[in-house]
Amino acid sequence: MRTKVASLFFLFLLSALPAGSFAQEAAPAWVEETMFSSGKMTTVVIVVTAVLVGLGVWMFAMDMKLRKLERRLKK
Amino acid sequence: MRHWWWKVLCVLLLVHTAVAGLYIPLNPGLVHVSRNSLPPERTSISLTGYNTHFASCSSGNNAWLESGTYRYCLGTAKAVSETRVDLNSAAPPAAKDGMWTVVVENDVDGMLRLQNALFVKGSGVNGSDQPCPALVPMNSSAFMFHKGFPNRSILNETIRNLFFHVPMWFSMITLMAIAFVFSIKHLRSGSLDHDLAASVAVNVSLLFGTLGIVTGSIWARATWGGWWTSDTKLNGSALTLLMYLAYVILRGSVPDAHKRARLAAVYNIFAFMLMLVFIMVLPRITDSLHPGNGGNPAFSQYDLDNALRAVFYPACLGWILLGIWTYNLRLRYGRLNALLDENESR
Repeated sequence: MRTKVASLFFLFLLSALPAGSFAQEAAPAWVEETMFSSGKMTTVVIVVTAVLVGLGVWMFAMDMKLRKLERRLKK
Repeated sequence: MRHWWWKVLCVLLLVHTAVAGLYIPLNPGLVHVSRNSLPPERTSISLTGYNTHFASCSSGNNAWLESGTYRYCLGTAKAVSETRVDLNSAAPPAAKDGMWTVVVENDVDGMLRLQNALFVKGSGVNGSDQPCPALVPMNSSAFMFHKGFPNRSILNETIRNLFFHVPMWFSMITLMAIAFVFSIKHLRSGSLDHDLAASVAVNVSLLFGTLGIVTGSIWARATWGGWWTSDTKLNGSALTLLMYLAYVILRGSVPDAHKRARLAAVYNIFAFMLMLVFIMVLPRITDSLHPGNGGNPAFSQYDLDNALRAVFYPACLGWILLGIWTYNLRLRYGRLNALLDENESR
């Protein structure tokens, strides 16, 4: 049930993405400055961080699933 | 050892990706010219480089204007720092109107070009070539600097994202292919384990697809100017993710296990075919901001050089193995869960 709600939410978010391309708004100045500084290296740092955060979130989700499984096994 | 050698390989490849991908420097390049046009009277211009050796090179720095095969020497530039040179020159007296390429040359960095950097309003016809005085031959020890990653304008350091964005999609496609194979297997065998394997592969492929879209969006902001553009490949990948999310929802909404498995398998086969069309076929037919699209295959000799290849190929394999590894863990969890369900219902 929870995965279904989460996927529906995600579906909604994703479907809004292409619509956003018609209303391109500039990000706050500090975001631009950070992303474009030192030969745009910061952008690479943000990208690598995003990948690690994504994998981390997956690990936590997996951890929770396993905990639930362990609880069921103990019963 | 037999079971985990590929996991060790995965870790080693990803360590290589992180270390080489972030540590290898960019080749020297010109990034900025202080003016956008060059008047006929003497004017001072300053040129900004990146990873350049303007001050420490022994030859001095020559500056050129270039348009097609025609070259016009602007003179010797004064090095202010390693990354800045100043010039005091005028537009060529006889020159074609238009955008000219600025070239800076020294014995360490070689020829550095910034395409379409200066507008020159001239008489309309180029005069005869006026080359700069010849430099001493390239310093061979300094030539080592050119073993770095290519320094492309606009891309700059973000060329490294190649190792962290593109392989996400390869991982996703691999996992979707695994799901496709297990869906076909399920239709042939009717086994619920095959259905489980397919659904787990789709779940994990969505993780990598999401990472691909998020990293792509950040990269697009820094290079194409927007978090999202209506590029064919972007919309195609968003559609792919939507399609596979619909698979998750479809599976979740049918209570009967065998009916659910069969329905999901048939849907998944169609989804895989459409995914191939959305992200492999359509972007190649129309124009796309992505390299290697609009008719040319990816991995083309123009898009990758050897320094990039030495990191990119291991990175692809590493990330694909990581995808398979995460899938493996999730599948083992799913199997244990299914076993427990079976025992409880007995």
